[in-house]
Amino acid sequence: MIKHHPSDETLFRYANGSLESGPRIVVAVHVGACTACAERIAGFEALGGSLLHDIEPEDMEAGALDHVMAMIDTGEAGRGKAAPAQRLPRADVGIRLPEVLDDCGIGPWRWIGPGVRWSRVTLPDDDSANVMLLKVVAGRKLPEHTHAGYEYTHILKGAFSDARGRYGPGDLDEADDDVQHQPIVDKDGECICIAALEGQMKLSGFFGRLIQPLFGG
Amino acid sequence: MAVTIRDEGSLSAPEATRLMAAVAANRDRVAFAALFGFYAPRLKAFLKRSGMTPSAAEDVVQETMLLVWKKASYFDPARAGVSTWIFTIARNARIDRLRRESRPAVIAEAFDPSDQPDAPVSGEQAIIAVEREDRVREALDLLPREQADILKMSFFGEVTQSEIADAIGIPLGTVKSRVRLALGRLRQILDDLK
Ligand SMILES: [Zn+2]
Repeated sequence: MIKHHPSDETLFRYANGSLESGPRIVVAVHVGACTACAERIAGFEALGGSLLHDIEPEDMEAGALDHVMAMIDTGEAGRGKAAPAQRLPRADVGIRLPEVLDDCGIGPWRWIGPGVRWSRVTLPDDDSANVMLLKVVAGRKLPEHTHAGYEYTHILKGAFSDARGRYGPGDLDEADDDVQHQPIVDKDGECICIAALEGQMKLSGFFGRLIQPLFGG
Repeated sequence: MAVTIRDEGSLSAPEATRLMAAVAANRDRVAFAALFGFYAPRLKAFLKRSGMTPSAAEDVVQETMLLVWKKASYFDPARAGVSTWIFTIARNARIDRLRRESRPAVIAEAFDPSDQPDAPVSGEQAIIAVEREDRVREALDLLPREQADILKMSFFGEVTQSEIADAIGIPLGTVKSRVRLALGRLRQILDDLK
């Protein structure tokens, strides 16, 4: 049973296309597992459809249709799926990942602190997005920390709890810089999440920030 | 080949669905031209309101309509109305273009959730999909005027929330809470569909 969903604002930004690519893929993972959010996005997309339908039209340049027809004729269909970018390397991370991540590169698990490992997720269309898998061992308590900006975390396996509640498989935790929390992973098993940060921080800065609380620095 | 564009002042949802079916099943160019005649000028206006220059908007419209032709067989009236489906294609084409402008080295296509395989749709869901655009319109009419306006402005992303605040002369916090309220109301009305 999913208890924690993205906010309406986040689903709205997913629907209108203004959510950054990192958070977008994490929300897509959630939506793939949550019919309630899929419905909400469909509703917000229908808002886009009705705004499009009702908007005051503006003349296209002369010959626009002929141009599109010519592209159809020559089969010069742009950068289609016919010529896919080379497949990104995918490490085995020990769990079956959601289908929406099929085109993403998945790095091997790397140690970043006691009981905590991460794996870099590379998006095929935006290699600058900060997306990662995180794996934390059972019972591990992370030091208290705050977030610099919005952070989106979808739980793939296991669960953690903090003052705000318990987050289990299928839950999406949307934490802003007001949230100060100290998550504890359930005792009966490890927890694996996919997480993205909003903003194009340098990876090193992101790591620094992640590692810092883990080492109490 | 020369195709004349009919002046499409209006296009009903069932008519649009019929045209899409003709494009998908018969690769019907006359049907496609009719869809182009209605949607291309509206997409252009939509994209310009979202902050694109006229020439960038023109490009993205052509790209979008080409994708409408190519992906016609993916259109499923049980999932979304034609306007909504075309909106999502334009949205993704716009994301794709903005990303290419900022990161020209990356050539992969933008992530497109509509390309993902879907679970089968129940009969009940199909009815909801057809009604959704109409229900959204009704919902907007039910919202207080200032909430509906802010929702529309936010959707196009033509201005930031702080610009909206400046324009209307209300604090940023009020804009944020109005958007939140409006989204909550809209969601409630849409949830009531079920
Ligand atoms: Zn959800």
